[in-house]
Amino acid sequence: MEQNEVILQMVDICKAFDGNQALDHVNFELGAREIHGLLGGNGAGKTTLMNVLYGLYKQDSGDILLKGKKLRIASPRDAIRNGIGMVHQHFLQINNWSVVQNVVLGSSVQNKWTMNLAPEVAKLQKLCDRFAIDIDLQVEVGELPMGTRQKVEILKALYRGVDILILDEPTTNLTPQEVDALFVSLKVMVDEGLSIVFITHKLREVLSVCDRITLLRNGKNVTCMPRSEANEETLVRGMVGEDLNVKDSVIFSKEIREGTKIDEVVTPVLEVKGLRHVTEQGIERLKDVTFSIHPGEIFGIAGVAGNGQLELAETLVGVQSKAGGTIKYNGRELNMVTAELLQQGLTYIPEDRLGDGYLPKVNVAQNLILGAQHKQPYSKNGFIDWRKVFEASWEMIKEYNIKTSGPKDTAANLSGGNIQRVMIARAFSHVGDSLMLAHCPTRGLDIPSMDFVYKKLLARKMQGYATLLISEDLDELLLLCDRIGVMYRGELVGILHRSQFDKYEIGRMMSGVKS
Amino acid sequence: MSKANQTPENKFSVRKLLSHPVMSYLLAILAAFVASGIFIALMGYDPFKAFQTILVTSFRTPNGFIQTLLKWVPLTLLALAFTVPYATMKFNIGGEGQLLMGAIGATIAGILLKGLPPILMVPAVLLAGTLAGAIWGFIPGWLLYRYKINEILTTVLLNFVTFALVNYIATEVYPNPEVGHPTTIRIATEGWLPMLVDNPPLHSGLILMVMVAIGVYAFTNRSTRGYELVATGANPRAAGVFGINVPVMFMMGLVIGGALAGLAGGIEVAGIQHHLIEGMHSNFKILGIIIGLIAKGSSLAVPFVAFFIAVMEVGASAMQRTLNIPIEMVYIVEALILLFVLLVDVVRRK
Ligand SMILES: Nc1ncnc2c1ncn2[C@@H]1O[C@H](COP(=O)(O)OP(=O)(O)OP(=O)(O)O)[C@@H](O)[C@H]1O
Ligand SMILES: [Mg+2]
Repeated sequence: MEQNEVILQMVDICKAFDGNQALDHVNFELGAREIHGLLGGNGAGKTTLMNVLYGLYKQDSGDILLKGKKLRIASPRDAIRNGIGMVHQHFLQINNWSVVQNVVLGSSVQNKWTMNLAPEVAKLQKLCDRFAIDIDLQVEVGELPMGTRQKVEILKALYRGVDILILDEPTTNLTPQEVDALFVSLKVMVDEGLSIVFITHKLREVLSVCDRITLLRNGKNVTCMPRSEANEETLVRGMVGEDLNVKDSVIFSKEIREGTKIDEVVTPVLEVKGLRHVTEQGIERLKDVTFSIHPGEIFGIAGVAGNGQLELAETLVGVQSKAGGTIKYNGRELNMVTAELLQQGLTYIPEDRLGDGYLPKVNVAQNLILGAQHKQPYSKNGFIDWRKVFEASWEMIKEYNIKTSGPKDTAANLSGGNIQRVMIARAFSHVGDSLMLAHCPTRGLDIPSMDFVYKKLLARKMQGYATLLISEDLDELLLLCDRIGVMYRGELVGILHRSQFDKYEIGRMMSGVKS
Repeated sequence: MSKANQTPENKFSVRKLLSHPVMSYLLAILAAFVASGIFIALMGYDPFKAFQTILVTSFRTPNGFIQTLLKWVPLTLLALAFTVPYATMKFNIGGEGQLLMGAIGATIAGILLKGLPPILMVPAVLLAGTLAGAIWGFIPGWLLYRYKINEILTTVLLNFVTFALVNYIATEVYPNPEVGHPTTIRIATEGWLPMLVDNPPLHSGLILMVMVAIGVYAFTNRSTRGYELVATGANPRAAGVFGINVPVMFMMGLVIGGALAGLAGGIEVAGIQHHLIEGMHSNFKILGIIIGLIAKGSSLAVPFVAFFIAVMEVGASAMQRTLNIPIEMVYIVEALILLFVLLVDVVRRK
């Protein structure tokens, strides 16, 4: 690839938060028509660096040069005026507004007062066609799957006419098909003259779309290399130093594990029979779902996101009510009134960590005990023993490698991956006696943390605990599960034992072909 | 070279200064005084004299100090009546009405229970006030729980209901015709709060208030229920997913808030007024909300902020008396303090 002209430079950027040096003399460079991968472990400073560029944070020192000219970016408005747009890791949208309304919101539309959106719709449709973005502009965003909502954000940036687009972990919530579609769009964008900063933890994605890759570790530059020089090994080494022992890891292990033999005599930990769920609008989201999980088993649910996985998880947790069927826990039937399974000892890792599992305004310790606030040793006679809680929190922070200044740190300060580590630490530390429901537990985690979670899940299994693992990452499921049930349109279209695992077969079932 | 190194150092220290909670308050207060000082000067008064009067009156005479303590009691309780529901992110705008309900409850109990010995009578009067306030918190709580009706709306509307109710009781049910203003007859002397100091008069509601404030702090910051209240406010959805009964938490916050304001009303009746009098809430207006917001919802900070505001309120009357500066000036200062406290937060965030 020819050397492109450099359009953006960030030079010697420093940024500290209350004494914690998040960025330490970081340099970053973006060429015209380039897709530049930004890689690094959780809390390495990727999001912070891009927030500086987008005007959300002000750097303590260092310069931003756009086409060689020094630039002061004080707010996202400034950034957009200079052609810089960003799609955040956790973005905000107004659920009961249409796609068009969300996109146009906050921009300086001509007909601000009349809210006549017809011309904008035409404009957006053109943009969609041009960049191969497939989206219905009139539906409410609340009804859209995550992947499409992501596109809405991208569309927002394109609509504002940016020529530098920052994507912060855009693929974490996408299905493989959606990732492919996104990559097609990205290629069109660079052909049309845009430059893209692409943040991800998935090496395969980096190696398939990025022209160059910048590696950060603990707020410092490690290297910047063209794709031709990069491979998985060098990237992992660069990101984590010597932290990851490849030999020991679950991800890189070549060992073949057999599925647990299921003893049919033993009562299953969880027995779900004919489970149905119907939404308030009368749409059937779970149809006759039947499966059981035995002690020492990891039961996986595979499927393209939006095929009833969330409803399954939430019916089990008790957030949504079931329309039919039975749920038995250790042989006893549950009524599923308010969080009954949770009280019986289910531990839950929700898919949407920020929405369903996190209390951003309070401190890290308060987050770590959520759901266990009534349990020993945290609570005694109706009062919380904060000394014990802080002690336990320190231990969790160490064991789960949560990057934070301590239990009293405001939870909102944590990076995306570290928030996920809080979810993990919480679930694994307050082991209810036997069941865990993990929904996309490794979302947003870097590779060593992912490996750590896999080890933890396998250790649970060895101890005889049961796990329900709902994931969109087929590799993850194939690696860990004893059995996999495939969901399609609210139905379990088949359950495969480990000896029957076959990636292509499962892929077919995920698109609705019954086994 | 040295220049490049200096910039981050400097910024860092300013930010650090702002991030210290006490410093940020002092800064906000200073800014509010400077801003309103300019205003006072423009109006043709001497701002230094004005502020001196505002800040010193409370500490110059025993009478001034006791006046301040007497203000401090209801202000603290009213502010807590706001902060407890605010922990769940519900806004109790009805502190005034709940205080009046407390006063009504206490007055009725004090009239009807005539003849009981003080040891039973005083607690009964205060309890009646607390309960009446709690009911006035329960109604919005229940409407929210059952019909999802916004609590801001209902608490404000209930204020108006109470104003009418006070009027009715003071003119129709237990009127005291000797007074020209709608006022009830006095409650039995057995229901009066014992005095700590007789002259100038200071009632023992002060001790009760301090105990209640400590109790509220212990509840919100140390108890498991209090944790659930805070978790609900931080993210109701997540709290619900992890087994906390969120609607009940909303309701609990509002009921406790109502009870606290009701207690304030009960103390006013049993300690100072000894009867229900129309307009008795006008000393407090929305100060409870302002104090709660300046304290940023922290029940630990509330008593301190409330004391400061009590000092200013007492100073304000003196300022009007001696310098002729309208009392409203102090509301401007208070509002500016709130504004600057919030502003410091915004500046700090970057
Ligand atoms: N507003 C903030 N206040 C305090 N600390 C912060 C703030 N934002 C980020 N940090 C800290 O800065 C460091 C870098 O965070 P950043 O979000 O940039 O990480 P990241 O590389 O995006 O990680 P991830 O892969 O987990 O998203 C972290 O240690 C984080 O705790
Ligand atoms: Mg990030």
